[in-house]
Amino acid sequence: MTRVFITGVGFITSIGNDAATVEQNLRELRHGCIAYPPFQKPEVPVKVAAPVREFNTEPDDPEDWTLPARYRVRREVLRSLGPNTLYAHCALQQAIADARLGEADVSNDDTGLYAASGGSPSILARLVNRMHQHGVMKCPPLGIVASIAGTVQFNLVANFKIKGASTGFSSACASSSHAAGFAFDEIALGRQRRMFVVGAEDGNVETILPFAGMRALSLNPDPDTASRPFDVARDGFVGTGGATVLVFESEAEMARRGVTPYAEVIGWGQASDGHNVAISHPEGAGLAAAMRHAFQSAGITAAEVDYVNAHATSTPIGDISECKALRTVLGEHAARVAVSSTKALTGHGLSLAGAMETGFCALALRGGFTPGSAHITHLDPLCEGLNIPRVTTADAPRVVLNNSSGFGGANVCLVLRRAS
Amino acid sequence: MSDPATTAAAAQVFSPEDEALLRESLRRCSPATLEAALAYRQGKDAKHLPAVVIGIIERFVDPELRPKLATGEDDLRLVEDLGIDSLTMMEIVMMVEEVVQMQINNEELRNLRTVGDVKTFIDCKARGLPLPKPSKFLPIEGIAAVMPIQPPFLFLTEALVGATSATAKYKISGQEFFLQGHFKDNPVMPASIMLESLGQLGVLYLLEGHPPEAGKMVGPGTIFFTSCEGVRCHRVCKPGDLLSLAVKPKRLKMPLATFEGSIRVGQEKAVVVEEFTLTFGYVEAAAPLPAPVTEAAPTPPPAEPLRVAAGT
Repeated sequence: MTRVFITGVGFITSIGNDAATVEQNLRELRHGCIAYPPFQKPEVPVKVAAPVREFNTEPDDPEDWTLPARYRVRREVLRSLGPNTLYAHCALQQAIADARLGEADVSNDDTGLYAASGGSPSILARLVNRMHQHGVMKCPPLGIVASIAGTVQFNLVANFKIKGASTGFSSACASSSHAAGFAFDEIALGRQRRMFVVGAEDGNVETILPFAGMRALSLNPDPDTASRPFDVARDGFVGTGGATVLVFESEAEMARRGVTPYAEVIGWGQASDGHNVAISHPEGAGLAAAMRHAFQSAGITAAEVDYVNAHATSTPIGDISECKALRTVLGEHAARVAVSSTKALTGHGLSLAGAMETGFCALALRGGFTPGSAHITHLDPLCEGLNIPRVTTADAPRVVLNNSSGFGGANVCLVLRRAS
Repeated sequence: MSDPATTAAAAQVFSPEDEALLRESLRRCSPATLEAALAYRQGKDAKHLPAVVIGIIERFVDPELRPKLATGEDDLRLVEDLGIDSLTMMEIVMMVEEVVQMQINNEELRNLRTVGDVKTFIDCKARGLPLPKPSKFLPIEGIAAVMPIQPPFLFLTEALVGATSATAKYKISGQEFFLQGHFKDNPVMPASIMLESLGQLGVLYLLEGHPPEAGKMVGPGTIFFTSCEGVRCHRVCKPGDLLSLAVKPKRLKMPLATFEGSIRVGQEKAVVVEEFTLTFGYVEAAAPLPAPVTEAAPTPPPAEPLRVAAGT
C-alpha cells in the first residue's frame, strides 16, 4: 500500500482565512462566534452563529457579493457558485499554493478531487420560487449547478481543470471525513497520486436555522459560551460555514516534488449506528466500531493514540454518546489520551466539519501542540473519565484521531501521524 | 406604420412599476443602455433596439473583452471573439426578453453567430418581420468545395455568409508563391491580390448567400470580375497579418452583382473598395431544390433536420 501524506491546506473558516491565523486561534483558543445579524429578530430564538469574515455572500445576486481583494473570481465562474463553492474556490487556491503545486500538478489524470457540502439551500429555494412565480423558462440557466449537493465538486473540477477521480459525499456531518477516507483509499490503492479533499458549507440562515426545528441549535445568546462541548450547560450547536481543502499525496509524489508534509494519513474506518435517523446511538456503538476499524486500518492500538479531535458538537445527547464510545475504545488509556472539540471555537460546520478538523489535526501535528477544549466551566459528569484539556498545550502529539458523525448514524474516524 | 405587433405593443402602458423593474434589470448595464431601453419601452421605436441589445451583451462579456464590442463591428463573433458560451447566451436572451418584452425560442438562437445576427434578429422580431436566413459559417474545406477558384489562388480561409453581407479571414502565411518576387527580399501582399480576395468573397456570397432571384442557382462557372471603382489602399500587408474581409451587396440584377468591400488588419483599415462588380449567370439546378416557400406559408420548413438538444 502506498503511504499518503497531507502536503497542503487551505482554510476559509470562522477562526481564520489562512493556516497561520487558524493555528494561532487554535493555540490561543479564540473563537469565531458572534451575535449573527440575520438572527437578531424577535421571531428567531437562535442568536449566535460563526460566519466567515471578509466575505459578504448575503445578497441574492452573486455579482453583489464581496470577497477579499486577493481573490478574483470571474463573472462566468461566479454565476454557478453558491457561497460554499466560493469559499472552497479560495481555499483550494490557498492549498495549491501551500503545497507548491504547479498547473500541471493540478490538472492531470492522476490528480482527483473529492468534496462534500449540503448544497446551497438559499439558492435552491430562490430557484424553485422563481420557477413557480415566473415560469420554468425564466430561471437562471445555472441555478441547479449552483445549488444541488454536488455543486462544490462540479464547479471546482471544471474551474481547476481536474482530470482524475471526482465525486461528492453526502453523509451530512460525516461527509467530508468520508471524502478524506475515500481520497486516502484512492492513493493507497494506487489509483491516484494526488487528491484534493474539500469540505464546504454556506453557513447562512438557510443552512443553519432549519436545525432549530429539531432543537439541535444552542439558544444561548452569549457568543462566548454558546458553543461549549462537554460542559454540563451545553444546549446545542452553533452553526458555521466556510471551506477547508486538504492536499493528499502519495509518498513517491511527495518525494519527487521535494515538499515537507504536515502529517501522514495512516488509515481510517467507518461504521453505522443502525439506530435512528437523527439521534446518535446512546452508547456510541457506531462511532466505537468506526474507531476500531480505523485502528485496524492504521495498524495501531489505543496505546499509541495521543489526541482525539472529537466530533462533539455541543448537543446534550451527541457529546455523551461520543464520550461513551471513547471510553469503550480507549479503555485503560482513556484517562491519558487528550480529547478536545475544536467546535467550541469554530461552531459546527456540518459537511465542512471533517475536513476542517482534519486540517486542524494536521496543523497540530506539524506545529507540535494539542488543541484545548474551550468554554468548559463545569464538565458534564457524564464526560468524566476522559482527559479533556481546557487549554491548548505544547504537548506534541504523534498519533491523532479525528471523529465525525452524521445523520443516519454514519460515523467516520481518520488516523493521522506526525511525519517523521 | 401600422404593423399589428407594433400597434399592440404600443397600446400597453409603461407604468412607473415597469420602469422600476426595468431599472433594476439593467442596473449593471451602461446608462446609455438604460436610456435606450426606456426610450424603446415608451415609444416602441425599433431604432433603439441595437443599443439595448448591445448594451445587454456588453454586460455579460468579460470586462477584458468589452473594448472589442465598443468597435461596433457587426461581424464580431459571439463565441470566438466575445467568449459568450451557450449558457451566457441564455442569460443574455432572458434579459433581452424581459427588457424588450418578447419571447425567444431556443431554435431561433441556434443560428445567431455574430453581433450583427443578433441585432437583425431582435429588429425583425420587434417589427414582426420574417427572420432572415441565418449566416452560414464555412471553414476552408467548405469554401473550397463550392468555389470555382482553388488553391493556391484561393484567398479566403474561413467565411461567414449572411443575408446582407459576407465576411472572411485570410492569414498571410508568407508561403504564397508570388511573395517570392513581390518584392525582392521584401514580401508584401499585392494590392491586386487583395482586390482579388474581395472579389472571391463576392463569388462566395453569390453561391452561398441569397441568390439574386428566388429559386434560381448561380452557376459557379459563370462568375467573372468586370470592374471596380474607388479602390484605396491604406496599409502595407505582410506575412503574419490576418486580413478581415467584408463585402456587402449594393445591387444584384442578372447579369451584374455590385458590392462594396473592405479589408482590415485588426482595427486598421487596409483596403477600401467603393464598388466592384461581378458578372454571373444562372444554371439549372442539378440537385432538387428545397420546396419553394410561398408567402402564405406560416413557417418555412427547416433547411436541415432539427438537431436534438445536446447535453444533459
